[in-house]
Amino acid sequence: MPTLLELQRAMRASVVQHDASAMVEALAIGVEPGRLDIYRNTIVSGLTRALRLAFPAVAHLVGDDFFAGAAAAFIREHLPGKAYLDQYGGEFPDFLSGFPPAISLPYLADVARLEWAVSRALHAPDDAPLDLSRLAALSADDQDRVRFQPHPSVSLLQSDFPADEIWRAVLDADDQALGNIDLIGVPIFLLVERGRSGVAVTRLQEPAWQFLDALCRGESLPSAIDCATDVDAPSLLAEHLASGRFAAFLLDADDAIAPSEAA
Amino acid sequence: MSPAIGSRANPIPAKAGIGLRFQHHQTVIDTRPDVAWMEVHTENYMGGGTPLRYLDAIRRDAPISLHGVGLSLGSAEGLDPAHLRRIKQVAERIEPGLMSEHIAWSVVDGNYLADLLPLPMTEEALDVVCRHVDQMQNYVNRRILVENPSTYVTFRHSTIPEWEFMTAVAARTGCGILCDVNNIYVSAQNHGWDASAYLAGLPPTAIGEIHLAGHAVRQLSDGNALRIDDHGSAVIPEVWALYQEALARFGPVPTLIEWDNNIPPLEMLLTEARRAAAFISDVERGVTHADAA
Repeated sequence: MPTLLELQRAMRASVVQHDASAMVEALAIGVEPGRLDIYRNTIVSGLTRALRLAFPAVAHLVGDDFFAGAAAAFIREHLPGKAYLDQYGGEFPDFLSGFPPAISLPYLADVARLEWAVSRALHAPDDAPLDLSRLAALSADDQDRVRFQPHPSVSLLQSDFPADEIWRAVLDADDQALGNIDLIGVPIFLLVERGRSGVAVTRLQEPAWQFLDALCRGESLPSAIDCATDVDAPSLLAEHLASGRFAAFLLDADDAIAPSEAA
Repeated sequence: MSPAIGSRANPIPAKAGIGLRFQHHQTVIDTRPDVAWMEVHTENYMGGGTPLRYLDAIRRDAPISLHGVGLSLGSAEGLDPAHLRRIKQVAERIEPGLMSEHIAWSVVDGNYLADLLPLPMTEEALDVVCRHVDQMQNYVNRRILVENPSTYVTFRHSTIPEWEFMTAVAARTGCGILCDVNNIYVSAQNHGWDASAYLAGLPPTAIGEIHLAGHAVRQLSDGNALRIDDHGSAVIPEVWALYQEALARFGPVPTLIEWDNNIPPLEMLLTEARRAAAFISDVERGVTHADAA
């Protein structure tokens, strides 16, 4: 007689890994093993639907059958770790970049990365933006030691393809715009965030992106300025603060030593 | 003494309600339909952004019940504390009239299998479920309801009839029972059980809510029909009849119309809810099942 844990592992082997023998001993006499297909189908269709909601432009670009096949292959390797499916699919862009049938669409994984950032922004917690009065109360020395924490809706991406133009044209069903996109473009630098009027996808200049990226990675202001040449740091920082792109800050002396510094 | 099943602030009345899904958020805000209460899936409101803002507005007009689909009360490995914490956060914000979960499992070795999977009806599974119901009730500081499952398979080593399992969970933990009448019908048909005997085996004082939904029928390769609990159509006459039996036995109980696939216009859900409301009124006026027929 299997323990509950053994039975649950056998059920996973049967319905996810398609191990036909895993459940044979456990089912009651006379229960046709084909009945397990109902669970198989529900799991795959539920998770495929979650992926389709998070990656609508990818689904459109590859078509329903291709998407369903890619999703099924992804699901076998990546079951969700949480019962909160808004957070399911973060590994799907990398999976697509290594998925041989998608090799003819080199921009697909970058469109997927953009869609994942949009999905994260949509579902991010409603964290309050940084309290500016706390920042203003710091001495000038302490202000140089500030390390910001990005708002959970903020993502920064770069792509060698115009992933944002492709994404917009697909979701707008604008075939003409899609046809006019020059795939051999210049690298693009994107900011994705949830603002007051919804999720915004904005192209930044490379130095401004490098500056914000350094701040979001927790670099201090002086070292973020070192990361980006020729930026107007004070005005950029003021804009980021006014737009609520940071949720909190630490002073570097408050921090434990980061692993890279300790090594 | 355990706290009452219902919330102190926004109790769910013994009337008919509807399951609220994203498709109907805007229509409900715009039309403010005359419905006694609504139920949502807790997991749909665990992020920030617009869903919670809709629910904040909608709950000013109607009490809300939180129905979880992901806690996995039957997992051998224990509950995910992070998921329990997210449930509590939603409850603190929404102040639900009822909270419920399922007699099922979805998580093994940290993998969420995205379905309500069947438990073996064993003493071990009963102990696991009771421990987790206690844990959840202590954590959210209120009584919860647990829903009977719909199932497609049974297990060789099961020893406890499902209705006795449900009754034992309620008796040991003090939780209530969410009696899904469609699930009883589906499972009874799939396994050759007597649905009326199932109902008669449940303790009336523990019943805190009833669910009604539609289901599908699929032909299997062995020639048998299997009933699939897909919540994708109207409640069938046989389930309405079983619902009348349930009301006759349990008295007026908050009753929910659930619809999760092929979701129809809101008006269709309200029509089904009015039908349930009429049956509740019959019971309140003392009209018996036989009189009404």
